[in-house]
Amino acid sequence: MERVELNIPSNPVFERVVRASAAEVGSAVGFSAARIEDLKLAISEAVNNAIDHGNRREASKLVAVVFEIDGEKLEIRISDQGSGIDRLDVGRRVIDEQGLESGQLRGFGMYLISELVDDLEVSSTHRGTVLTLRLYRREQP
Amino acid sequence: MSEIIRREEFGDVAILHITTTSVDGVSAAAIAGACQEMRPITVLDFSEVSFINSAGISALLKFVVAARKSGYKLFAMHVSPHHQKIFKMVEMSRFMPVIEERDLAEHRV
Repeated sequence: MERVELNIPSNPVFERVVRASAAEVGSAVGFSAARIEDLKLAISEAVNNAIDHGNRREASKLVAVVFEIDGEKLEIRISDQGSGIDRLDVGRRVIDEQGLESGQLRGFGMYLISELVDDLEVSSTHRGTVLTLRLYRREQP
Repeated sequence: MSEIIRREEFGDVAILHITTTSVDGVSAAAIAGACQEMRPITVLDFSEVSFINSAGISALLKFVVAARKSGYKLFAMHVSPHHQKIFKMVEMSRFMPVIEERDLAEHRV
């Protein structure tokens, strides 16, 4: 197993560092260009959730991102140092007239993650939340 | 207007060329700020954009809201296949359909 680990401050600028790393890792795994784009977007959403909702942009709190590559898959764990969450809604979330009228212009992140990766797990305690994303080497249809 | 948007205007048409590669949480506010300067036909040009996330989509939705309030038409141009897929997933394409550059030719007088 090969492992890459990053720790970034809770500043959205550093999400771009994780995204660039994800592209390199995805390339090393042998993913197609389209799948690397999916990977970058899923990780971007997960890291931004950790920064905004987990760590609430507190500069002293870090977001940890661990990439683990084995023979069958790439697994990514994104951890924050927040106080945990009750639940994460991964249901389908699309733009509609009602949302536009009421100013509900956010909240697409978890839906996008769930659509772009093969597996998604969420684990949360009072010490923080961990999102685990898995993308299998075999291209999904 | 922010340097993140380069504006081109002819007749009732404004083309807003997004000049950053990342439409994300870092660039969102600067991009959304340009929604104050729309025209009856406004086209967002994504030719230089290589990445859009949900924070970026939220910024783009400011254009959708502004267009609906003004009765303006909003289009996207030069959208990559990946971003077309994402727009379709969240149904952005319903509110900001893709237009081909040649379709603007009739307005360039």
